[in-house]
Amino acid sequence: MLETLGNLGAGFSVALSPPILFYAFVGCVIGTLVGVLPGVGPLAGISLLLPATFGLDATRAIVMLAGIYYGAMYGGSTTSILMRIPGEAASVMTCIDGYAMARKGRAGAALAIAAVGSYVAGTGSIVGLMALAPPLATFALRFGPPEYTALYVLGLLVLAYMSSGSMVKSLAMAALGLLLGMVGIDQMTGYFRYAYGVVELGDGLGVVPVAVGLFGVAEILASAGQPAPPEVIKPRMRELLPTRQEWRESGWPIARGTVLGFLIGILPGSAHIIASFVSYAVEKRWSRHPEQFGHGAVAGVAGPESANNSATSGAMVPMLALGVPSGPIPAVMLAAIMVHGVAPGPLLIQQQPQLFWGFIASMYVGNVMLLILNLPLVGLFVNILRVPYPYLYPAILIFATLGVYAVNNSVVDVWIMLVTGLLGWLLRKLDFETAPVVLGVVLAPLLELSLRQSLAMSDGHYGIFVQRPIAATLLAAGAALVLLNLYSFVRRGLDWRAKLALAEKGEAQ
Amino acid sequence: MRQGVVTLFTLLALVTPLAAMAQEAYPSRPITLVAPFPPGGVADLTARPVAAAMEKVLRNPVGVVNKTGAAGAVGMQYVAASKPDGYTLLLALSSISIIPEADKVFDRPPAFTVDQFAPIALISADPTILVVPADKPWKTAKDFIEDARKRPGQISYSSSGIYGTLHMAMELLSHAAGIRLRHIPTPGAGPALTAILGGHVDALASGPAVVLPHLKSGKLRALAGWGDKRVAALPDVPTFKELGYPDAEFYIWAGVFAPKGTPEPVLAKLRETLRVAVGEPEFKGAMDKLETPIVFKQGEEFQKFFDADARRLAAGVRKVGRVEDKK
Repeated sequence: MLETLGNLGAGFSVALSPPILFYAFVGCVIGTLVGVLPGVGPLAGISLLLPATFGLDATRAIVMLAGIYYGAMYGGSTTSILMRIPGEAASVMTCIDGYAMARKGRAGAALAIAAVGSYVAGTGSIVGLMALAPPLATFALRFGPPEYTALYVLGLLVLAYMSSGSMVKSLAMAALGLLLGMVGIDQMTGYFRYAYGVVELGDGLGVVPVAVGLFGVAEILASAGQPAPPEVIKPRMRELLPTRQEWRESGWPIARGTVLGFLIGILPGSAHIIASFVSYAVEKRWSRHPEQFGHGAVAGVAGPESANNSATSGAMVPMLALGVPSGPIPAVMLAAIMVHGVAPGPLLIQQQPQLFWGFIASMYVGNVMLLILNLPLVGLFVNILRVPYPYLYPAILIFATLGVYAVNNSVVDVWIMLVTGLLGWLLRKLDFETAPVVLGVVLAPLLELSLRQSLAMSDGHYGIFVQRPIAATLLAAGAALVLLNLYSFVRRGLDWRAKLALAEKGEAQ
Repeated sequence: MRQGVVTLFTLLALVTPLAAMAQEAYPSRPITLVAPFPPGGVADLTARPVAAAMEKVLRNPVGVVNKTGAAGAVGMQYVAASKPDGYTLLLALSSISIIPEADKVFDRPPAFTVDQFAPIALISADPTILVVPADKPWKTAKDFIEDARKRPGQISYSSSGIYGTLHMAMELLSHAAGIRLRHIPTPGAGPALTAILGGHVDALASGPAVVLPHLKSGKLRALAGWGDKRVAALPDVPTFKELGYPDAEFYIWAGVFAPKGTPEPVLAKLRETLRVAVGEPEFKGAMDKLETPIVFKQGEEFQKFFDADARRLAAGVRKVGRVEDKK
């Protein structure tokens, strides 16, 4: 412990040196910007900046690139809250309650809570990264295809458990999402599925165009269809800060989101997206007022926004401790330090203490910078809501289209956004939730691949899922969840979900 | 308003022939080098220093654009279909020869064909090497192959995806040695490495640079390489050729291509540019750090290498065939 503190002290002397401070700042600013722009996520930002880091040394390069990564998690909530367009995929869940808060005139509070939650999660998870990196990374490697399959199945069950309103409807939406996720090359055999000769569809439907379409475009279409335009929200300065009550409601969700996000972040894959989904589900489950979710629950913003931030630190655990990239973003960051002749791998921490501890310390510093950068911006961003809708909506559409195009420089993605936008509008009219669709699209390729990989490993024997302890435990948890649900269903008939659905119907009349 | 539009079109009409004339002195505007894979991969990491070095030689901007998707097919198709004027170039990997063959296997119209490209120069070629977890019993490639003969379909390996480079390398070996292994495809070279480090598969064919740190730390063991010669960083690891499997030859290579029909003077200029560019100390330094040896071939020499490689891979893809047909 004392040694860790000593190392950290040395790290801070690196992180607080003016050049490192400067590059951390640049990274944080760029990260906030790519987070705010829908579509352009941290991966695009980091890739664009990668060549610029060739001229720097390894520590400066990784400090700047990491700044972009966690900076984007701060910025991502902005458009979700203000316009219901996820700034990047990990902010999908924030669209639901963040936007609902904005409609109630609490946009400033939502933005401030997202920023503070991100800060707490960012800082808290670095402690985890520092203390637990090597043992956790080894544990994460034990997650092979069967463990992932079990994890994703559990995720879907949790989703079903958390749904408000009709469970049938939300399971139907999750199924729709899973089906949409089937589009693309079959990873096991190389067949194109549902591509109809469009090469771009070989990669499947991207999460970003689908999410921006289902949330953002659908929202605009729905508003445009109303007989009277919605009232323009005029936020007042004194309403920008969260109330005491709102702070109290966000405390535990932030803490839970931090721990959850970090743990999920360690696992390879698009962890920051899944972390935010799981956190939302957990908060809804834990909440004493689950009926508020979807109508501006503070916890629905605080939890996921904290989780996606601490997932970024989690993702760096296998990267720094083992030299194994846990996703595309850490892969680019590894490439950036390899270009400078630093070999990533299990020996990195010993051989490059200056880089490792300087990097850790710079993340503490960067999170402080981001908080200072983002809180005053809240006042600025909220003013967007003052723009009258006839100007605001076309501008948002342009903004969303540019962002979605920029992800892969692909016009096909823009079409996907528009078509899913129409679909989202239709589903809203029919009273379906769209968040499960997005979760389905995220999970389908992952679940399918890991399931089929597992069966390839076991030569087709399903026993592999119960023979391996981690997979078996996860599946048992899922089964328990189902049984618990059945029990309360049989015993009470009407639980909170049904009551909530009734309340919603009353509201609709 | 209408007046404005008319003026705009008139201006465009005037400017277009000017642009065409300006092309006489190639290059007169920025060149795009398309990397058909996402940032951080071999194609991207090679493309960036190549572009930087070309820019210096040509004194003209050369930008890298990642046009990714469908295992590289999207970017390759894009370049194949773009104007053959030397302003859109492709940095391709071995998969350029694999994708059209795989399309044939599935009877689908190919996204592009190999003869839609004019090869300019080969930049690097790195043989794959066979690695296994250090706790596995096989000490040599011979042990591995003999065990695989005894237990057909039992020893598993991860790859960068079906018909991907790491899959093809293993298939070429399987056919050369007459063994059958169990294939576990993953979405890329990174996840394939994670799978073997986590102990979920028994073997992996990988580029040397990626596994070197793990060989040094003692987590993995290298058994043999697919190259014509031994890998410089691993002098003790034999090649399959030495072991009596000359057909198990495979390289992860990177080369620059232009669309077919690019005027010969432009191609000549590009060949010359790349020849000078690979000699730039900064370029050498960048490739050194990636532990990727520069193997420069152009003109006839590259064409010969390319043809031989394409033949080997085409035969490999045909032998694999459609995956489920084998059962």
